[in-house]
Amino acid sequence: MKKKISLIVLATTLMATMVTACGGNSESSSSTGAAGSGETKTLRFATWDTGDALKIEQDIAKKFEAAHPGTKVQVEAYADGFDQKLAAGFGATNPPDVMYMWDFPTYHQSLEPLDSYSSNDKELNIEDFYPGLFNYGKIDGKLYGIPAGFTTRVVYYNKKLFDEGKVPYPKDGWTWKQFQDIAAKLSDKSKKQYGFGVRAENDTYDLQSFVWSNGSSFISDDGKTIEGFMNSKETAESIQMLGDMVKNGSAVLTGGKGQQSGDDIFKAGKIAMWESGIWPLESFKTAGIDVGTVEIPAFPGKPVKGVLAESALSIAKDSKQKDLAWEFVKFYVSNDSIKMRVADLPVRVSVVNELKKDQDPLYKPYYTMLERSSNTPAFLLNPKWNEVNRQLSAAVEAVMHGENAQEVLNQAVKDSERYLK
Amino acid sequence: MKKILVYVLLLFFSLLFMAPLFWAVTTALKSQSELYLFPPKWIPSVWKFSNFAEAWNIQPFNLFLKNTLLITVLSTLGQLISCTLVAYGFARFQFKGRDFLFLVVLATMMIPWEVTMIPQYMLFNLLEWINTLKPLIVPSFFGSAYFIFLLRQFILTIPRELDEAATIDGASKLTVLTRIIVPLMGPSLILVAVFQMMGCWNDYLGPLIFLNDQTKYTLTLGLSQFKGMFGVDMQSIMAITCLISIPPLTIFFFAQRYIVGGIATTGIKG
Amino acid sequence: MAQTFLHQAGEPIAQLKPTRKRRWGGVVPYLFIFPWIFGFLVFTLGPLLFSLIISFFDWPIVGEVRFIGFGNYAEMFTDDPLFWTSLGVTLKFAALFVPLNIIVALGLAILLNQKTRGSAIFRTAFYIPSVISGVALAMIWSWVYSGDYGILNYFLSLIGIQGPDWLNDKQWSLVAMVVASLWGQGSMMLIFLAGLKGIPKDLYESASIDGAGKIRQFFSVTIPMITPTILFNLITSIIAAFQQLTLALLLTGGGPMKATYFYAMYMYENAFKYFKMGYSAANAWFMFLIVLSLTFIVFKSSEAWVFYEGEMKKNPQEKLKGQGRRRSL
Repeated sequence: MKKKISLIVLATTLMATMVTACGGNSESSSSTGAAGSGETKTLRFATWDTGDALKIEQDIAKKFEAAHPGTKVQVEAYADGFDQKLAAGFGATNPPDVMYMWDFPTYHQSLEPLDSYSSNDKELNIEDFYPGLFNYGKIDGKLYGIPAGFTTRVVYYNKKLFDEGKVPYPKDGWTWKQFQDIAAKLSDKSKKQYGFGVRAENDTYDLQSFVWSNGSSFISDDGKTIEGFMNSKETAESIQMLGDMVKNGSAVLTGGKGQQSGDDIFKAGKIAMWESGIWPLESFKTAGIDVGTVEIPAFPGKPVKGVLAESALSIAKDSKQKDLAWEFVKFYVSNDSIKMRVADLPVRVSVVNELKKDQDPLYKPYYTMLERSSNTPAFLLNPKWNEVNRQLSAAVEAVMHGENAQEVLNQAVKDSERYLK
Repeated sequence: MKKILVYVLLLFFSLLFMAPLFWAVTTALKSQSELYLFPPKWIPSVWKFSNFAEAWNIQPFNLFLKNTLLITVLSTLGQLISCTLVAYGFARFQFKGRDFLFLVVLATMMIPWEVTMIPQYMLFNLLEWINTLKPLIVPSFFGSAYFIFLLRQFILTIPRELDEAATIDGASKLTVLTRIIVPLMGPSLILVAVFQMMGCWNDYLGPLIFLNDQTKYTLTLGLSQFKGMFGVDMQSIMAITCLISIPPLTIFFFAQRYIVGGIATTGIKG
Repeated sequence: MAQTFLHQAGEPIAQLKPTRKRRWGGVVPYLFIFPWIFGFLVFTLGPLLFSLIISFFDWPIVGEVRFIGFGNYAEMFTDDPLFWTSLGVTLKFAALFVPLNIIVALGLAILLNQKTRGSAIFRTAFYIPSVISGVALAMIWSWVYSGDYGILNYFLSLIGIQGPDWLNDKQWSLVAMVVASLWGQGSMMLIFLAGLKGIPKDLYESASIDGAGKIRQFFSVTIPMITPTILFNLITSIIAAFQQLTLALLLTGGGPMKATYFYAMYMYENAFKYFKMGYSAANAWFMFLIVLSLTFIVFKSSEAWVFYEGEMKKNPQEKLKGQGRRRSL
């Protein structure tokens, strides 16, 4: 009996020692990202990209390794779990050294200000970047991210459906009225075909393009007032317009996160027009859609405004090898690397000129929209925007499900006021 | 007549449960242009088996497979040993604080993982286990509440006379466990093994949080690499899903007859 | 508290032994459960306490940590309509999901328990949904549920029914979620199946000698004999219902208009979208209290309806008449 009991004791202590043993030998196997005592330095680089875009990033990392002997770049692809991974990393002060970034208001306190790096480093050649791109990475006048890629938003159209409906292709400078007429004309409920796809859950960030185009905005320029902005007549009008199209059957409501997205339905040739950034363009082509692009329509007599989605590179404040990290960032936005990145648009003027991208009719609208993207998005204007946006998003969603835009926006303003005090 | 009804129902539900897998397979096999047809094309006009190989080779899936196998095998072993011991302890002994401790076991199931995730990350960071497979393996050697509860319920259905007879013959508690209880627990142990294997195989959040380096990734992390913030490679996802479903389904096919092998044959006679 | 509803599981056999060994008898049980105790102290307790403590702090992950006492809890109850919305959604979901889950899983298990040819293939087919990983599962369901292009509405249209846009419809999206969750109940079905196979055949034989028909046998033999399994599945279903997150996250994102905004999703968004880690921890501990009380009630009630073979020393017939010594848990 005693023997057996000592067996149990043995077994459990074995398990216990296994834990400590594992803790002991982990130093050799784990690479925490800090400059270790070893010969090779490991630089951790976190990205949200997947598929082909990820492959390109891995290739750029390999090139960097080749140019910097003794350095290993650990590409960490967080994909959909990006925010969760960063939360865990920052929470435990073990973040990646370099990471993709767009949400500067949320993260800037954990990021390294890059002003001194960028102004002291001639190699960066800051004048070559499209002007305005740097504004998106600035909080309170400090720069936290170097732009690596961007996209503007355009309207995609399916040429085949336009031909079948005997509708001429849309041209830059068209109006929302024309847009709605075309959408109505190209809708055919019996074929389950629609003129346009409206997202059930819009990112209010993207809607700013329409709101600005109608001469309004979600928040005042000083970031202090939403009353009369978020619920202005013009704001309501530009959102109501989408809800109305769903109601009258000229647009289909496209799914939320994992549902059949507008991209998919466009690829299936069931919607004639779709509004998005550059991301799905390649997949439209491979799906065999004869696709055209055109600027966002205008409200009569008002200039069209665009919104920019930018991916930048940032360095963590807690990184223990910031100089190496900066070298990598610089390498990543160099001419050669930018040329390798094809999933979004080049940030350098010289690269665009060299590749003649802005001459290609399919790409031209992205660049004309870029010239129209001078407004500052709401999330950069108020640190509490996240909370306000929670109300705004709910209101916008309600409009897509048939509510009256003016009413729900008034309510959203009322519910949001407390966050702005 | 009754037999026919049973077969009809079995067939109906089998089709219901298999239809999506069928759709996944055909989606993976289609050519790009057929992918988004509505109404969907059930049978692809060209069978592109190369899609499977392409998807598998975009990222180092062989490596992911190796990592996943390592985690799955070791953690399943760990759960089996530890949960059997603990469940037996809770089911067959009377000791101070037992009921309270068991309540704690159950309570640990009720705290959602989202809130303990970051402190757990900090803990493993302290142990320098981040970016190793250890956080995904070692804790299994100390039991999981769900399995302890499950096994305990099974042990409680085993007649106590069997233990008592053996004890009177002079067998120790451990002998009773290994010679009497464990053989009778067979089906439930296989059940635990199957559940743990499936859970491990498809675990996404654990590997996502604790692993950084691609050389440490698991299959599901590899799979998630096709679903980014701006777009989804549906075809590759379906191809990989089909491929990585094969091992667990095969194991299940061979394990299921032991699960249902029946405790009935073990000689419970009133 | 524990004593009142967690009855002793059996007689302490150790007492029958010579006193020399009683010293050991006191330690042995703890040795068996030692692995769990050790793991709990090392891996679980710390993070649990940590999350309890930060629920009294304002912790935005990036930025300053600030003690705010019961501030998070107060905000939850008085100043956050989403808390009530999500709690309502989850309660509704649980009320639909838990009973249906048990009935469906048990029904399928009974079906699989019939003597048929090819049972191995049927069992494997029934288990397939549990093997497919989450990312693909979400796509599969969006393909099923899509309003215009979905396969479900296609089949409905064949019998002349115009189906709704399931996941974009305020009335139907939660129902669609319940069905999707039920579809992946393979584990529970297996547990029931193992339980059913464990019922000694002689019980049915003696019941049929007593003149009980198939239906009587089901209620007087089958159901009583699998009550421990039902208890297990009931409790784990309740916990699963309250923690339901993956499907909502992947499929609807909580929409439309918060119709599938589960409590777990609310918690998740507070933590990882709004980075209010302290607040999210407060959400979690409140949910813990709800689930714990529900579990408590179930266990309390189980004294009346669950019994264990291991506790039976008399003729099994007696138990069928409800006179056996019943012990909870």
